[in-house]
Amino acid sequence: MKTREVAWRVFASEYNASTLEIKGEGEKAPSYVVTPLGAMVNRVFIVGLLTDLQNLGTEGEPYWRALLSDGMSKFYLFAGKYNPEAMVVLSKLEPPAYVAVVGKTRTYSPEEGKIFVSIRPEKIIRVDESIKDNWVLEAARSTLKRIDCMEEAMQMESPSVEDLTKLGYPQSLAEGVVRALPHYKEVELNRYRGMVLEAIEQLLPERSGEIAVPADMPMAGPEEIEDEADEEDKEELVLRLIDKLDTNKKGAPLADLIREAGKAGIGEAELEEINNSLLDKGLIYEPTIGKMKRI
Amino acid sequence: MNKEEIAPHVKEIARVLEGKVKEQDIEKDLDNYLNVYRMSLEASKRHIVRKYGGDPNSLTKGERKLLSQLGLSEQSVDLLVRVMSSNTREVMVGGSPKTIESGILADENGNTVKFTVWDLSKADLKAGENYLIRYAYTKEWSGQPEVHLGNRAVVELRPQDEVKVPDSVVVPQVGGGYSAPIVAKVADLRENMNNVTLTGRILALKKKEVETPSGKKAMYTGIIADETGKVEFTAWHDFGLKDNEVITVSNAYVKGWKGIPRLSFGERGQVTRPKVKMPTVDELSRAVRKSIDELERTGGASDVIVTGTIVDIKKGTGLIFRCPECNRVVQKGVCQVHGKVQQVPDLRIKVVVDDGSAAITAVMKKEVTEQLTGITLKSALDEARETMDPEAVGHRFEEQLLAKPIEVRGNVISDDYGLSMNVTEAKFIELDVRTEAEALLKKIEVI
Repeated sequence: MKTREVAWRVFASEYNASTLEIKGEGEKAPSYVVTPLGAMVNRVFIVGLLTDLQNLGTEGEPYWRALLSDGMSKFYLFAGKYNPEAMVVLSKLEPPAYVAVVGKTRTYSPEEGKIFVSIRPEKIIRVDESIKDNWVLEAARSTLKRIDCMEEAMQMESPSVEDLTKLGYPQSLAEGVVRALPHYKEVELNRYRGMVLEAIEQLLPERSGEIAVPADMPMAGPEEIEDEADEEDKEELVLRLIDKLDTNKKGAPLADLIREAGKAGIGEAELEEINNSLLDKGLIYEPTIGKMKRI
Repeated sequence: MNKEEIAPHVKEIARVLEGKVKEQDIEKDLDNYLNVYRMSLEASKRHIVRKYGGDPNSLTKGERKLLSQLGLSEQSVDLLVRVMSSNTREVMVGGSPKTIESGILADENGNTVKFTVWDLSKADLKAGENYLIRYAYTKEWSGQPEVHLGNRAVVELRPQDEVKVPDSVVVPQVGGGYSAPIVAKVADLRENMNNVTLTGRILALKKKEVETPSGKKAMYTGIIADETGKVEFTAWHDFGLKDNEVITVSNAYVKGWKGIPRLSFGERGQVTRPKVKMPTVDELSRAVRKSIDELERTGGASDVIVTGTIVDIKKGTGLIFRCPECNRVVQKGVCQVHGKVQQVPDLRIKVVVDDGSAAITAVMKKEVTEQLTGITLKSALDEARETMDPEAVGHRFEEQLLAKPIEVRGNVISDDYGLSMNVTEAKFIELDVRTEAEALLKKIEVI
């Protein structure tokens, strides 16, 4: 029975940190990218904000590069003539837009021991925010499962697929974890726990201040936390200003924004930082240079 | 270890070294490691293979397994078991008589398996004793693994308290083609299982008259369920079964069709009516939720619910045309069997649903398709006529379906192309993201 490769739900920062590739031997044997948390990925399902889309090829023979943000990091997507279906969709898309992608892993190794991972889309479709939110939940759940499995494996003297499946982890994950462990050695699990928390935080914006941080995660001092809360307020203020100044629906002119923000006590340098943060979070974008618009 | 005990291991090392080294030399080395340096058998073998430039990983490794984990063709496996029954008998091997021993092993989890000892000088398993069996192998018999102890086998008598078999495991004496009894839940049933004992509630029951060579015969078919799922059954004998009652069937066997198991029991089967707790008819009638990798392991199931995301739309989705004779999909009005036919329009969806654990093909017939998409066959035909493009509906389905979370219900079969579900009910899932996110957050906070 030939089985279709499962589509993994991973966040970009876990996927992009992968440096282990298992090449399939023989014809049609699948290749896998093994992430630091032990996902053995041949196919992915990802949903995020398309933030950048460029044709690196020519008009006649396009070669698209797309950046897809999961709110924390970005996936790199490449599509050329061998992905006709994806190309057609990409050529009609305009960032920013929420899109869902089913794709295959792709690696590029400029030199021995170094690999860069990206995604070759099989299917792309524009989706609404609820699909994105649902995906974030799924990716969070599946990442937590990998963190758990990796943690169990780290505590074993000589972790084996058998021992991990006995604990109830699926065979595919157990295999990935057993392969990932000797390659990545000490994986900072709390970094990934933090990442999952941040992802869920996106879904519960008003809770962002009170989210518990795992015990041994580097804690920010109380002042810094206050600062962050302050930041949030200022971001909120800038967002409101952008809405107010966006009179013709083509975006708020930056000059007006600087003036109004100045009145509210936000200097030009600070405004730029806030704008960058909002751009990163996918809350605003620059339809044309010098204009800011809400998404 | 004496010379005789060492011999099979020498042979194995020689096999791994592909005859590059004389067996006498290997024997000398192995004897040296084992009896002079007192190294373990495993380590000694690896050392010798490495010494002569072979790959120690090619040695069969004895791996400790539970009986439930046994595969159908284990090369070398270790088991900690209680011998439930054991008998010797004579068989003819290569023209000369040979005494072998066979019986039934059980482990702490109450699983049982049939065993055969082919070399009584290596092992003699007494009923009622516990043993650590090493370097055994398994072969398939009627879809079940059977444990064999050959000339490589090593057995060690273990204390009585090391393996405690649950009282519920009762093993009759071994007869000829007897296989060990398997106490199973519905979810454990696999094609070709024999001597199955299962407890469940009858959800549906029908009497049928069938013609057999020995005249008319009454048979009973229906559905029996426990908390792990539902299975269709056939009883070839009148056990006085009644709708909704809870029964224990023993000495039943399992036939299957494309991975969907079907429980059968005849005159040799037994039906008792135990006083046990079993969910109500209503509770059992609901389809059981399964993850797709679970279905991949079992190979099929009756009436299950799967949730996942649609990650691919297959060809043949949308408006299709069928042959009125054989129902095959026709291309341009031509059936591959019946030639030019008066084609019949139909609506269908074929998609891949993926839940992050595995993937399954879900096939929806017209009624399910219409209900899910809100597009009827009639409006699809109108649209095709207007746009002059019979594929337009398929494209519209793709936009409606791709990347959507969905819940599908139906029977799951497996064949050469993997798992597929004949969908009887389908609906898009609307998740309450806030609630789910908060629940997940609580889970992390607990850690």
